[in-house]
Amino acid sequence: MPDELGRWAAKRAPELLARAEAEAVEELKRALVEATLRNRAEARRDPGKPRVTEPTPPRGHGLWCYCVTRSGEPPPERTPGVHEAGPVERIEHAPLAVLVSRVPLAEFGEEALRGNLNDLDWLERVARSHELVLERTLEQTTIVPLRLCTIFEDEGGVRRMLDEQRSQLLAALELLSGRQEWGIKLLADRDSLERAARGRRTEADADTDEAAQPSAGGAYMLRRRMERQVREEADRLAVGVAEDVHARLQDWASDAVLNPPQNRDLSGHEGEMLLNGAYLVETPKVARLRELVGELQERHRELGVTLQLTGPWPPYNFVPHDPISERAAPA
Amino acid sequence: MAQERYLPSRGGAGLPGRPTESANLADILERVLDKGIVIAGDIQINLLEVELLTIKLRLLIASVDRAREMGINWWESDPSLQSVEGDGEENGHEQLERENRELRERLERLEQRLGLEEGQRREEESRAG
Repeated sequence: MPDELGRWAAKRAPELLARAEAEAVEELKRALVEATLRNRAEARRDPGKPRVTEPTPPRGHGLWCYCVTRSGEPPPERTPGVHEAGPVERIEHAPLAVLVSRVPLAEFGEEALRGNLNDLDWLERVARSHELVLERTLEQTTIVPLRLCTIFEDEGGVRRMLDEQRSQLLAALELLSGRQEWGIKLLADRDSLERAARGRRTEADADTDEAAQPSAGGAYMLRRRMERQVREEADRLAVGVAEDVHARLQDWASDAVLNPPQNRDLSGHEGEMLLNGAYLVETPKVARLRELVGELQERHRELGVTLQLTGPWPPYNFVPHDPISERAAPA
Repeated sequence: MAQERYLPSRGGAGLPGRPTESANLADILERVLDKGIVIAGDIQINLLEVELLTIKLRLLIASVDRAREMGINWWESDPSLQSVEGDGEENGHEQLERENRELRERLERLEQRLGLEEGQRREEESRAG
């Protein structure tokens, strides 16, 4: 008997270990997220907390770059930038132009940024301001969004960059002209998924289950097995609906990018995020995109899914991926 | 009906000219940190620091494990995501060291959770060796 128990335990050990490890990792991630969010809450309560600055902060200012447009566009609407040190201005350098604003190096120098970027509250403020400038400009013209923290010492540096990257930037502007980036998320309610899965399973497996004619103990095992099958079937349904929605949108859009699902502590979404995609759509087809999203949701209604459409976004997801290194391109 | 959410500044809500709190922070961060064209400016924070930060934030942003469990992992074929760990300044050795450190931390947690005492572990090690 002890031998038998030992064998049983040995057989179960890998599974139990795996489960414990998964739980431990989950726990670790939760703690990390909690700690970060807590720091943020504390920073909010204490607005007097000094920003990270270098021991001997560099004086002077840099130029924060938002996005590139073609030159000769109307001047930007009055929009606050990432710092009050200066308004958002346009540097014209035909055939291109860049939107910039002055930022103090005491807060935006290399050392200071290293700390500030890891302060979620600071990061949120700067990210939202950057985003707002891009959205405003997007209303008027085609833009190439720059990643956060593209900072030059002076106007000369910005102009040199435009010279060096001219062909890449013009190609990107050409590609993005007349197109919009829209975000689409597919959210599913786990209970509805499992309900649908149970329905499908019952049809398929009822006969086999009945044929088994279980004893009282067998009934328990049977129920456990059935629950597992329902979970697996619900996962299959989830993958299926995500594939269907993405395939339809991808066929139809100029380009598509899939991103990892978001963490609900930041996004606040409900249910499971099955799809988090960005789609580049020709501007005249946007009205049809809305209809298509409605149709896709209707088609999968029994699974209790919701499609969430956001946009138009600055086309972050559709600019060249490879980092453009300094002086890499021919001038 | 499908939910539709416009971007914060065009919905008409909130004060004009000020970013509202309503846009999903995850939507914005996943874009401004991971996407957009990368150009090396004079302030050399771009690649190394932002990539490191991105890795850290990825813990915050992505609930990737649950999706993988369900069999959803197709964003992994996206080259822009692959590049995050490969292209940064972090070389192979540093990456190994980091992974090693993370695994050690995980192991420690695991052992605590399993209630393994130091003595027990030593006993097992000696038996194994």
